[in-house]
Amino acid sequence: MTRTVLDAPPAMPALFARAALTARGRGGELPDTRLARLGVEVDPAHLADYARVCRFPLADSLPVTYPHLLAFPLQVALMTDRAFPLALPGLVHVRNQIEQLAPIGTGAALDVEVWAERFAGHVRGATVDLCATVSAGGAEVWRSRSTYLARGATAPDGAPDADVRVSVGELERVNARWQVPADTGRRYAAVSGDVNPIHLSGVTAKAFGFKRAIAHGMWVKSRTLAALAGRLPEALSVDVAFRKPLLLPATVTLSTEQAEAGWDVAVRDAKAGTEHLLGRIRPS
Amino acid sequence: MAPQTRKAAIVGGNRIPFARSNGAYARASNQDMLTATLDGLVARFGLQGQQVGEVVAGAVLKHARDFNLTRESVLGSRLSAATPAYDVQQACGTGLEAAVLVANKIALGQVESGIAGGVDTTSDAPMALNEDIRRVLLAVNNAKTLQQRLKALSGIRPGQLIPEVPRNAEPRTGLAMGDHAAITAAEWEIGREEQDELTVRSHQALAAAYDRGFFDDLVTPFLGLTRDQNLRPDTSLEKLARLKPVFGQGEGATMTAGNSTPLTDGASAVLLASDEWAAEHDLPVLAHLVDAQTAAVDYVHGGEGLLMAPAYAVPVLLARNGLTLQDFDFYEVHEAFASTVLATLKVWESPEYCKEKLGLDAPLGSIDRAKLNVHGSSLAAGHPFAATGGRIVATLAKTLHEAGPGKRGLISICAAGGQGVVAILES
Repeated sequence: MTRTVLDAPPAMPALFARAALTARGRGGELPDTRLARLGVEVDPAHLADYARVCRFPLADSLPVTYPHLLAFPLQVALMTDRAFPLALPGLVHVRNQIEQLAPIGTGAALDVEVWAERFAGHVRGATVDLCATVSAGGAEVWRSRSTYLARGATAPDGAPDADVRVSVGELERVNARWQVPADTGRRYAAVSGDVNPIHLSGVTAKAFGFKRAIAHGMWVKSRTLAALAGRLPEALSVDVAFRKPLLLPATVTLSTEQAEAGWDVAVRDAKAGTEHLLGRIRPS
Repeated sequence: MAPQTRKAAIVGGNRIPFARSNGAYARASNQDMLTATLDGLVARFGLQGQQVGEVVAGAVLKHARDFNLTRESVLGSRLSAATPAYDVQQACGTGLEAAVLVANKIALGQVESGIAGGVDTTSDAPMALNEDIRRVLLAVNNAKTLQQRLKALSGIRPGQLIPEVPRNAEPRTGLAMGDHAAITAAEWEIGREEQDELTVRSHQALAAAYDRGFFDDLVTPFLGLTRDQNLRPDTSLEKLARLKPVFGQGEGATMTAGNSTPLTDGASAVLLASDEWAAEHDLPVLAHLVDAQTAAVDYVHGGEGLLMAPAYAVPVLLARNGLTLQDFDFYEVHEAFASTVLATLKVWESPEYCKEKLGLDAPLGSIDRAKLNVHGSSLAAGHPFAATGGRIVATLAKTLHEAGPGKRGLISICAAGGQGVVAILES
């Protein structure tokens, strides 16, 4: 295993550009590489912007999804490296698991480390997990696993089967209805650095086969957790499956249901009932 | 030293006729309407230049400039300028809560008299700057140098010129109040016909009350209106049956513009006092405010209906006063929607609901519908959110007074945010 410590977050637009240029001719096994940043401090202004876009209350501890923003640029750097077997453009985020072991103060110096694992076979291609761990004062406080699907890709021989299902209750009751404006992707891109063109505009999304721009799955997840502000355990796991893409603009519904001292949640299209997100939130 | 408490007297009330949104009061502000309503009350009870203990009122839809709405209205009224005032806001419970606050200070001997009121306009509604341009302008305002100001101003985009219009929707659910009520109506199988029947009764009762002069000393004409603009004495089941549902979905949708309250403009005020103050001023005592209770429900994630909180507040109030639901001569259940009234009555009859949700050994039971909203309610009069409590308190106090001494009435008002305010009046 090689571990590289970066002094600054990688520049995301450049990474996405490089990813597009180097998409062809990839293959092979997952690299045994870890990327890290040490002593990362949260910029309060950025946190306020993020909280506003996702509707989290601004508080003295981080929203449970915030550390993902610290890990994501490193994960993109890992995926755009030529050693990575799958092409970043076209990768679809299909599942995201976060475990927060303790509340993270906004003033904490955080060590972030990311790696890829679990190259798996899927009926529509192959999946790979991008993992992250975040520590404060030497103790792990947060970890995550983002599962991406590469449609049409082939997993190596002997690879395990992909695990992208999240089972939830019936969730028949509608608890809230959200109007999701057309610029949601641009707004989340501005705070998250995830400038993947499929989120930015109809034109750029069409180039990748989507009829319109689609919302970031992590925005949908964050918005859902924000809707449960005040009702969540301090140490928790949040496991969500991103189902059908949420085409912008949209009107969607949120359903919540208490389950095992946590919550089952679903975000669906308000008219068609198409599932966008199914999730399980549990104390940990 | 714990002071002896006493029951606050309701001396009387005044309101302006309620107008439909963008109707007769389209150009009137909250302050205009509240001031006119206070002046009507002052004229009725000879309070010109007098100081009352406190004026408490509020509005649900409120401009930022109206931070001191009630005090500003007092200053513009014929009350003594030395009358203190403050604003309250508890959505549709504002008016009744204001009356409870005044009554409590009277009960504790902190004031001898007070005015409780409320006002709302959906016509002259506040509009907010688009959130993005608001932040840009805040940054411009905070800039110290020309260069900083120009940099901040460069953040302005054409799309930010679209203002934010207040929506009649719950912030946490994005659902309109009617959508929430429709969920409850479907859950409790509240039929279209019973809703329309309640609506017709409300219009007929209000019209009859006007016809016999019941409101002569409760309402002061304003801007050309002498009766509530929404009142339709000639409405009928047939006419209501023709309306298409506006809330709820599919075949089960029962809620129409007829059996839901319309957006309304208006104001109301109630004069409360100690018995001694009323006697000194040679004023009548219509009734006393005996007790009150609030409740709130988790309509966001808890599965309870948005407007069901009064169902929870009433049994607490009954228990504290050693009363049953049947121990009342009159019931004033605010008609936010006909289905809300019917659902509230229905859950009180349900043994399962009363046991599981309200924690009662036995259901509260049913009420005599002939005692319900006998002088009409919000379906007919309209519902300027914060003004409804004052309308109901004054109407019920007079109703009890007319019926004679020792009569008892129950008020139940549901409010946005899953809240409810209920109270007992006695003559």
